[in-house]
Amino acid sequence: MIDHLEATRYLVNRLTDELVVASLGNAKYALFQSGDRALNFYLWNSMGMACSMGLGMAMARPERRVIILDGDGALLMNLGSLATEAMRNPPNLIHIVWDNRQYQLTGGQPTSTAYRTDLARVAEGAGIANVVRVESLSAYQRAIDKAFSQPGPWFIHALVEAATTHVRPPKSPTFIKHRFMTELGVSH
Amino acid sequence: MTSVTNGISPSSPGEGDPQWARTIIGVLKTYNIRFLNLVPDAIGERLLRVARGDPAFEILPLTREEEGVGVVCGQAVGGARGVLLMPTSGLGNSLNALASLAIPYRIPLPMIIGFRGDLGEFNAAQVPMGQATTAVLAALNIPAFTLTREDEVERVTDGALKLAYANEGPVALLVSTQLAGWKNEK
Ligand SMILES: Cc1ncc(C[n+]2csc(CCOP(=O)(O)OP(=O)(O)O)c2C)c(N)n1
Repeated sequence: MIDHLEATRYLVNRLTDELVVASLGNAKYALFQSGDRALNFYLWNSMGMACSMGLGMAMARPERRVIILDGDGALLMNLGSLATEAMRNPPNLIHIVWDNRQYQLTGGQPTSTAYRTDLARVAEGAGIANVVRVESLSAYQRAIDKAFSQPGPWFIHALVEAATTHVRPPKSPTFIKHRFMTELGVSH
Repeated sequence: MTSVTNGISPSSPGEGDPQWARTIIGVLKTYNIRFLNLVPDAIGERLLRVARGDPAFEILPLTREEEGVGVVCGQAVGGARGVLLMPTSGLGNSLNALASLAIPYRIPLPMIIGFRGDLGEFNAAQVPMGQATTAVLAALNIPAFTLTREDEVERVTDGALKLAYANEGPVALLVSTQLAGWKNEK
């Protein structure tokens, strides 16, 4: 099983000018703890919207790599987004799902991935071009290296240990947005 | 990719496109709006017929309107402008994303909503959401403007878009059945 924080740190250490959007839940806590940066977009609620927002970013900035950090519960709320992602087929998109098989934040209730649902197979069925399912840190690292060197879209389904942290990213939505857009050098 | 996003054309542009649809699309262009994100409805299709084949636009079909709120927000913070086209039922599908993303993060989000469940409606299952639309938008403090007459379309669309980008928030343009007509079905 993969240590979520260690896996997030491996990713963050590779980042240069990528846009990253992190789902509510442990995805955004681990991202912040691994390294805060202006191009991290933290979602404080909007369960299921990280993947759609990442697709929008990838459409707006085709020259930049966009990384979505998702949770299993959040993705299950917006499975249709995988079909949209596959149809649009953006080569600059990497979608990582941290699957801890539970709604950790609300008390650890099991999600359907604790039973019979396999999100990698769902992504394959949706038509995402490159799908990888990883259960060890080394396999995860290889998948990340590949996703950073070959065109996407990539869907990396990472089975992680359930864990949480008490470190919290900035809470002001407008601060998060302005910092992100300023760094990117864009305005509305 | 283009063949998938733009190539499936249930109908193509032609002489039959209503003036209001051509006017709206024209105003979207003056605001440099590039992405038309949508779940189809009969009214939105009139706009798409005009936009298809125009290289200024990219069309993204969605599986659910809530996705569209996320997608437009991602496009916006990435520095590109998009709109969401949907029927009144789609507004129902979008509410939590509007309330938790577009509004608190202050992201301009023009919504062009085909008004089902109103004047001339044949389908009772469209009516409750249609009739709740104005109140739901008001409850979220989302400015809403209804297009009813051909001669006001340009001015109201222009004003609504100006407001969305100045205020950095969602704005609804409701395309009424007075303007767009309704289905023949009884
Ligand atoms: C629409 C909606 N429904 C329910 C919730 C409550 N909620 C907050 S976090 C969360 C769990 C998210 O699970 P997952 O994405 O797997 O992340 P994890 O907590 O396991 O890191 C839930 C159900 C919410 N915020 N929004």
